[in-house]
Amino acid sequence: MRTRSCLVMLCVLSAVGVCSSTSALGVPYIRDCRSPEKETFSCWWEPGYDGGLPTQYRLYYQKEKESFKECPDYVSAGENSCYFNKIHTSFWVEYTLRVEAINALGNSSSVFEIPDVMIYVKPDPPVNVTVLVNSTGPTPYLQIKWRPPPNVDTKSGWATIKFELRHKRNDSDNWETFNLDSREYLNLYNIEPGALYMIQVRCMLDGGSWSDWTKTTFAKMPDIEKPLWILVFAFCLIPLLATICILALKREMLKQWVLPPVPGPKIRGVDVQLLKSGRTEDFAVALIGNVNFPMKMVPVDQVEEYLLVSDSKEWLLADPYTSEKKKDPMVISAGLHLESEIQRGEPSPGQNAWDKAGDRKDEEERFESNVSQSERNLLNMEPMEKPGCPSVDQAAFTNATQSLAHSSYVDIQQPENSWEAGPTPTDYSRVNEVNGEAIVILNSKNVSDGSDVQRQEGSGEVSAPDDYSRVKEVNSDVVFLQKHESVDSCGKKKEERCTGWTNQKPTMPRELERSKGPCSEMIGNGYVDSAPAFTVQLPVQV
Amino acid sequence: GSMKAASICSSDQAGCHFLSLANLFDRVIQHSARMHGISNDLHSEFELYFLPSKNQIGRVNRNCHTSTILTPNGKEYAQRIAREELTEVILKLLVAWRDPLWHFHQNMAQQLTFSHFSSNKSLEMSDMVHELQKGVQKVAEKMQTLGIISNSLGNLGSPKALLASDGAEWRLMNDYDLLYCFRRDSNKIQNYLKILKCRTVPEHGC
Repeated sequence: MRTRSCLVMLCVLSAVGVCSSTSALGVPYIRDCRSPEKETFSCWWEPGYDGGLPTQYRLYYQKEKESFKECPDYVSAGENSCYFNKIHTSFWVEYTLRVEAINALGNSSSVFEIPDVMIYVKPDPPVNVTVLVNSTGPTPYLQIKWRPPPNVDTKSGWATIKFELRHKRNDSDNWETFNLDSREYLNLYNIEPGALYMIQVRCMLDGGSWSDWTKTTFAKMPDIEKPLWILVFAFCLIPLLATICILALKREMLKQWVLPPVPGPKIRGVDVQLLKSGRTEDFAVALIGNVNFPMKMVPVDQVEEYLLVSDSKEWLLADPYTSEKKKDPMVISAGLHLESEIQRGEPSPGQNAWDKAGDRKDEEERFESNVSQSERNLLNMEPMEKPGCPSVDQAAFTNATQSLAHSSYVDIQQPENSWEAGPTPTDYSRVNEVNGEAIVILNSKNVSDGSDVQRQEGSGEVSAPDDYSRVKEVNSDVVFLQKHESVDSCGKKKEERCTGWTNQKPTMPRELERSKGPCSEMIGNGYVDSAPAFTVQLPVQV
Repeated sequence: GSMKAASICSSDQAGCHFLSLANLFDRVIQHSARMHGISNDLHSEFELYFLPSKNQIGRVNRNCHTSTILTPNGKEYAQRIAREELTEVILKLLVAWRDPLWHFHQNMAQQLTFSHFSSNKSLEMSDMVHELQKGVQKVAEKMQTLGIISNSLGNLGSPKALLASDGAEWRLMNDYDLLYCFRRDSNKIQNYLKILKCRTVPEHGC
């Protein structure tokens, strides 16, 4: 029973199979059309089921409301195709296509409408894509060129072509696309050296469809040349090394520049080198400097606190300060002169007013008169030999005179003849007045007078006032006083005196040069080696 | 072709005229391209919103009111006919579409079915047809001045031409057909102008 039903089933199935084989022919249908240059177009159909039997296919077309015509060319576009050449192609015209299939089974057909062939315009891809690496210039770049497909006529104005290019690195996934209109070249600058690039181009006509992309063109960028890098590296490295070496060698200097040393103490006016050379007077000068100590008006009584020594009893009895008489000048050195000095030095308290600046001019005039006097005295001076005393050196005097002319000093040279006996107070001056700026020197006239007085008084002994400080030089500001070490008749001790140009000895100039000591450099230095109060302190010796 | 500003040349008069003619051509071609773009957009929008299916039977025998105007349908024909004829065809088309587009825009403004954007496009389209017609007329006059075309063109503003456009055929078209027809005609105008330029001044970018 079962086998019988199975056989029946089998028969039925086979009958069905036979029936289906004799069914209607499959319907062919047009799958696609295309116009590659906007002048012709082609369509392709798909055959339906044909039962394995030889089948004939026909295509008919109708333009607008015209009659159907058969396909003019079945061959040129390939199998199952219809090719419409220029004559048969019309744009802006509706096409109705019918494709038929005929075989032993029957016939079947389908209809296909084309409203406008324009919508099927799709060009072939561009051709002759060339890629060149241009290494001239600072950076290398890619020069890409191509040509439109040969079947497109771009000169008539009928077809306007547009291009598109895309590129990417071989190992990247993202394409970079450029829209180029109708340009047929492109220069790519943003590329990496040593990378491999893929390039593709496509085109479009008048708003139809884009073509397919061209086959990929590969381009490899060259690496940056190694010698160049080596050169660059060397050029950078050598100066760097040189700088390091220099810095290392001069690290002391560098350290000083970066961290300058703390300046040591410095006294203005003090030159360390000069100190080292060892002149103490320089040191003193430096320390005290050009400070002009305000020369106070020293009370006369302070200045003239001399111890008077005299043989004359009369002298002893008298008060030197109040006596107005001119005493017998028979006083050793300072005594008489001092007295007269004192007398003159203190005519009135009003002399204190000399401190004032207003009197300065008078003092200066006095200076000048003193100078002139002393000049005259000097000139009149005759070298005289004194026992044990150095004779006046005319040359020295000349020098002194010359010096006189240059500086406003006064160093009264007592004329030799004013001293009759004993050491002559050849080079001294009497300090008349000391104020802040100048030392008023006693009028030489007075001195002369004094000496005359001495002569008149017949005292023979007028000895050199060895106890006086000798005025070495008087400049506008200060008077230099010589400090005597000892009172002596003009003896060899004179050598010790800071004898300046005022001395008589012919060798004086030499002595001057040789003399070291506090006086030799006094010229030009504005100091008086005395206490700020400028007290002339004389050693008192008998 | 490159757009060069029309300059007043003093020396080579002929060269200067041809340069300005090429410039005129470039401008009208640009104008027509833009016009075609707008018509294409409007047609696509209409098709998207109002037509459920594209392949309708009966669409085949669409009747555009400009079908009576004989127009070259390919490059060969466009190159074969006389320049005067080609110019005339362009002008006929432009004139024929002035009124229909104006009325179309009026309908658009009233109907709320279209977006504001579409309504602006229809107005722009209507204006463009008008401007383009004036531009092409200028080109024709210049060509006539230069002796490129004869004066057989006539005046297309004549009542005869207007009658052709004033026919009632276009009123029978529905909006969709109107848009479809205009899209096709604007594409024709654009192509004809390009052919005409390259036939008249080929050395300036063809």
